[in-house]
Amino acid sequence: MVSPVHIVSIGLITAFLLGLGKKSQQSILVLVLLIATAAMTMISGSWLIGIMTGSVQPTDVFTAGFKPPFAINLRMTMDEAVLTTMVNLFGFLTVIYLFDVLKNAGKHLLSIIVVFLIGLNVIVMTRDLFNLFVFLEITSIATAGLMIMIQDSKSISAGFKFLIASSVISGILLIGIIFAYSYIGNLNIDFMSNLSLIKGGSVAVFLVLSAIILESKQFPANGWALDMYESAHPAIGSALSAVSAPAVLFVIYKLMPIVPESWHSLIGLFGLITFTFSNFLATRQGNIRRMLGYSSIAQGGLMLTVVSMSTFFGNSFWFIILGFLLTNFFAKAGLFWLNGMVNSDDQNKWGVLRKRPVLFFLFGAFVVAIAGLPPFPTFFAKWEMIMQLANGNGWGWIVLILLGSIFEISFLFKWFGRVFHAEEEKINDIRTPWFKQVPVLLFGAALLATSYYFVEYLNFDVLFVMLPLLIVTVFFAIDFLPAFVKNLLLIASLTIYGYLIYPEIDGNVMQLVFMGVFLVGGILTLIPGFTQKGTRAGFYPFAAMTIFGLIMLVNPADNLTFFMGWEQMALGSYILILRGKKAERPAQQYMLFSAGGAYLMLAAFGLLLHFAGDTFFGHLNGMLPGGGVVFVLFALAFMLKAAAIGLHIWLPGAYSEAEDDATPLVSGVLINSGVLGLFWIATAFGPQQLFGYDIYQIMGWVGAITAIGGNMLAIYEEDMKRLIAYSSVGAMGYIIFALSMNSKLGLLIALYYMVLHFIYKTMLFMSAAGVIYRTKTRNMYEMGGLIKSMPWSFIVVLIGIITLAGMPPLAGFAGKWMFYNAVVMKGWYLQGTMVFFSGIVAFLYLYKLIASVFLGQLKDNHRKLKEAPFVYLLPQFIFVIAIMVLSVFPQVLLEPLATIIPDRIPGEALHWDGKLAMTSFGYWNAFSVMSVVIVMFAVIFGWLVYHSRKAQKVKQFNIVFAAERPFRPETTHVSYNMFAGYKKALGWLMTPLATRFWTGVSDWSMAIADKMRSWYTGNGQTYAMHLLLYAFVLYLLISGGKIL
Amino acid sequence: MSIDWIKLLFTLLGLFIVLNYGLLQYGMIRRITARIGKRIGMPVYQPYIDLIKNYSMRSQITHGVMFYLGPVFRLAGGVGIFMFMPLIYGSYYWSNYSFSGDVILIMYFMFFGMLGMALGASEGGHPYSFIGISRGLSQFTTVEVPFTLAVIAVAVQHHSFSLTEIVAGQQGGIMHWNIMTNPFAGIAAMLAFLGMMMASPFNVVQAPQEIPIGPPTEYHGTYLGLLQTNRAILYVSESILMVNLFFGGATNWIELIVKSFLVFFWPVFVGLVFPRFRIDQSIPWFLKLPLILGIIGIFMV
Repeated sequence: MVSPVHIVSIGLITAFLLGLGKKSQQSILVLVLLIATAAMTMISGSWLIGIMTGSVQPTDVFTAGFKPPFAINLRMTMDEAVLTTMVNLFGFLTVIYLFDVLKNAGKHLLSIIVVFLIGLNVIVMTRDLFNLFVFLEITSIATAGLMIMIQDSKSISAGFKFLIASSVISGILLIGIIFAYSYIGNLNIDFMSNLSLIKGGSVAVFLVLSAIILESKQFPANGWALDMYESAHPAIGSALSAVSAPAVLFVIYKLMPIVPESWHSLIGLFGLITFTFSNFLATRQGNIRRMLGYSSIAQGGLMLTVVSMSTFFGNSFWFIILGFLLTNFFAKAGLFWLNGMVNSDDQNKWGVLRKRPVLFFLFGAFVVAIAGLPPFPTFFAKWEMIMQLANGNGWGWIVLILLGSIFEISFLFKWFGRVFHAEEEKINDIRTPWFKQVPVLLFGAALLATSYYFVEYLNFDVLFVMLPLLIVTVFFAIDFLPAFVKNLLLIASLTIYGYLIYPEIDGNVMQLVFMGVFLVGGILTLIPGFTQKGTRAGFYPFAAMTIFGLIMLVNPADNLTFFMGWEQMALGSYILILRGKKAERPAQQYMLFSAGGAYLMLAAFGLLLHFAGDTFFGHLNGMLPGGGVVFVLFALAFMLKAAAIGLHIWLPGAYSEAEDDATPLVSGVLINSGVLGLFWIATAFGPQQLFGYDIYQIMGWVGAITAIGGNMLAIYEEDMKRLIAYSSVGAMGYIIFALSMNSKLGLLIALYYMVLHFIYKTMLFMSAAGVIYRTKTRNMYEMGGLIKSMPWSFIVVLIGIITLAGMPPLAGFAGKWMFYNAVVMKGWYLQGTMVFFSGIVAFLYLYKLIASVFLGQLKDNHRKLKEAPFVYLLPQFIFVIAIMVLSVFPQVLLEPLATIIPDRIPGEALHWDGKLAMTSFGYWNAFSVMSVVIVMFAVIFGWLVYHSRKAQKVKQFNIVFAAERPFRPETTHVSYNMFAGYKKALGWLMTPLATRFWTGVSDWSMAIADKMRSWYTGNGQTYAMHLLLYAFVLYLLISGGKIL
Repeated sequence: MSIDWIKLLFTLLGLFIVLNYGLLQYGMIRRITARIGKRIGMPVYQPYIDLIKNYSMRSQITHGVMFYLGPVFRLAGGVGIFMFMPLIYGSYYWSNYSFSGDVILIMYFMFFGMLGMALGASEGGHPYSFIGISRGLSQFTTVEVPFTLAVIAVAVQHHSFSLTEIVAGQQGGIMHWNIMTNPFAGIAAMLAFLGMMMASPFNVVQAPQEIPIGPPTEYHGTYLGLLQTNRAILYVSESILMVNLFFGGATNWIELIVKSFLVFFWPVFVGLVFPRFRIDQSIPWFLKLPLILGIIGIFMV
């Protein structure tokens, strides 16, 4: 094994050799540099592999023949091996990436790169404080040199500010080292373990530590660093983020043994503040490089927290830090490199990536990885970190992390959405030579491989997690195939998956029902996709991700699996929504609310771990006394997905702007994930109280208000899809209400309605999609009279709205009937009446939906329309058949559903006497009702046919109309603002309080972030002042105002 | 499933009685209305003449399938309410098909005819139909609120949604009637009943002189005949519903007819005194006094 010191020696020799070269031999010099970095990488890499496999023991290299503390020693253990490999590999790829720059730049730049790398290597390996200081200086000078690779006023001034900052930092560090030496008598970290115990020694420790913390660019003393990120060449920004920062953090890690225990958490807190606030400020940042700078600093802060609390995290430390470190390394470097290729800090210009599918995919992967979504390592690291913090009661910490994560998602996905939707014509094409692509591709692949190892390490269930992930991956790989083939393959894989999974869940009705909804829903909603032409790139991987994410929710072995499925489903559906033409903003809203819900849930999982240990939240069996807060967090998270009022504002936009044939999936199917969660907590937690209030009571009111609110909002919509979307809000209110009753009948209603809502909502959205497919408009007032050309779609909508309205004899009535019984048993008369009222209000929009579109006056431009395509109608009629069966034999569904509800839930169950359903209050016989209705209807119909057998069909405008014959369908069709009278009477109920509230939250946080950004004046002297102030404040907090 | 043919015969007989009663009642009320307006009015048997005329009209037109089915839905809705309603307390044969479901079924079956008719009329494409329907649905949303509260109050009081049980609980004299035992709920329901019957001041739907005659504008001949048949049956059935809910039900046909006539006379009486509300007045009206009474009624139990 080559001694690690040769990493340094190779570097030094190369630097000298480069000095000897001539300008004309620049290409050869670049090659020399490349070989040198390759050699350095191989040395550190061989140590890494050696130590990992156990073939080599970690070692210390003693320089000058003496043992420490009399001489400097370089250490090579697993830690150093990982970091030096990262540094050197990065150096190697940077040389490739900068190939064209280096070729024309002159030899000095090459030397600077080598020196930069040597510096970082030694910083990582050395155990000697003074040696550390020297190499920090060397690295700083090299960094300043790299800064002026681009020579414009911005980068030169940023380089200068950096020099000011680093001289302040060096000053502090040097004084600390002097103090330490005077107390201990040597400079080796390993011999300083009792430094802080010596009187005055703490000051030395403080000075050294604070200098390194300042070097790690903590908020808010980091203006200089931001200016560097903003103005440096992307490759250099990449180096700052991907290798400089980790090297400095590693120094802190090395120093931690000499830092007193009592300081650890304070440093951790400072790191966390950096994480939260940097991400917060980034939300207002438009310039890509500066934004990435903020993000890098934020990640640095998070890693500082982990590093400083390494003893707290114990066994999980490596898992957490590697998760953050590797993701940041690969993804941040990748993003900076992409920035170099796009060569613009304007988000709109990044749209050009869409012309490079592989790079675009990697761009997305990097963004998602940094945002901490599965299956990337940060996701798991963040989960583990939260769980550990929860174990240690670190609630404030969790809040900070989650807040920071929300901000992070906010700006990352705003960026992603912009890139996704940037107008084509404004984009100039870019050059992407191979040497720029190779590093990005390699790092992308490495990121995916790392993710694979993380997932593998966690030992997930094969059938429920690994197989779905594999299928999703395959769909990414085959994305070049035609849409038709992929659609078929996805439907086939879902079918086969269902076949494989069935024996596993057979007998568990709960799983069967939800799996049925998700799988069957997935398959049926995909069928209309057969009308798509071309490859429909990017749709199927995410459709698969959404559906399989949902499936993961059904049989999670543990909380992590559930959360992973949840996040995966959120990500997949986000992309599906984002694909809509005008979906940029709605998708962003969707993402933010999803993330908000997810983080509430994450906090809840943390609390749950604290209260109940490592149990899956669905298996608590009613035993969690005092779990009110946990329950509320879960409930909020699930109600966000189910769009309870106040948390619903994302829904109409997201559902209506998604691609028409994707809407049924993201609405009718996906929304049930919220119901699943709510059902689980309702059955698992038992009655819960918060501040003495019964939570179910509050949820009941929320449900009732949601039901009214959603339905009220729907009646004024002119947009067909928005109308149906708001109707979903209403339906969810109904379900939330039913669940909150927490009685056997209430839960049964919720489940029954969940299934029913899934059926009719999916059906209605598909029918709407079919109509929109033909008419090319979503405005209902532009339609009318379509019953003539689209009779089948009409029938579907008719059945759908009768079911939704809950009219006998169709299946919806079962829900209404049980509802009355449950309300009366529970005694929730007022709330119950509100929900009932909402049901009647629904009639208004249902009528508007069917009458405006299918009845009334046919428009001239629609005279030649055809019926919706067969592939649209097929799934709709499968649903119609399901409704018909349920209408006649509701017990087919109701009886199995009743078995899901645990016995401990209070209240009376539904009894069956043959076909007669009974409670102590009422009774109802669906079969008998249906028979009476059919016979009666047939008799009257026969009577009418007999009497008007000669009825003549007349033309459209042959109507009785005050001595005048109308000719224009537009003026005769009453549709626009149909319920104006209602608006006048009850319109005040629709004051958009929720929208105002959330807009206010958004505006205020933007304004605050903007104001806070002005802290960074851009003035080097101010920045120096910040550094000193930071150190001062840190001192005050550590010492508690006393002299250390 | 075996069919009780005798019961079916009784039900049809009941339907026939109710139809005739409804037609006569309508004629009578029209005549009373005319007298109040110092007119002579039409003969009491005029509805029969209208009905026969309409059913025997030969030339007819249609605007499409849904237009054709609208009146069928409407009449099926009316007959349905009748079918699921127990008529005479204590009589097996006069209880119709009330074993199929309770009062909730009847409440929701009211929507069946309403919505079907709305859709049929809409296919006619006449703007007045649309306006009438949008008004009708709008007003209906709030009419149902106090009514529902009242029904829930009654159900809670008798611990049953079954109309038979509710009537059974009111036996034993006038003081046992729900209108006496729970006057608030009773009054709330009676106020809501004004809206359900759509007489003035809540006749914005058909609104004579304004949007003549709203939804059925395009209907004529047999279609109109069906609608008239429905009107006779539906109004009587709804009156019987009120009798069952609040006025002790009936143990024989005479009692039933007297009670339902008096109940039916209530909206007529109000309608003759008060002029029509605008739609934006009538909608919130039900959310004021009737709603408050309904809420009090429910907490009285």
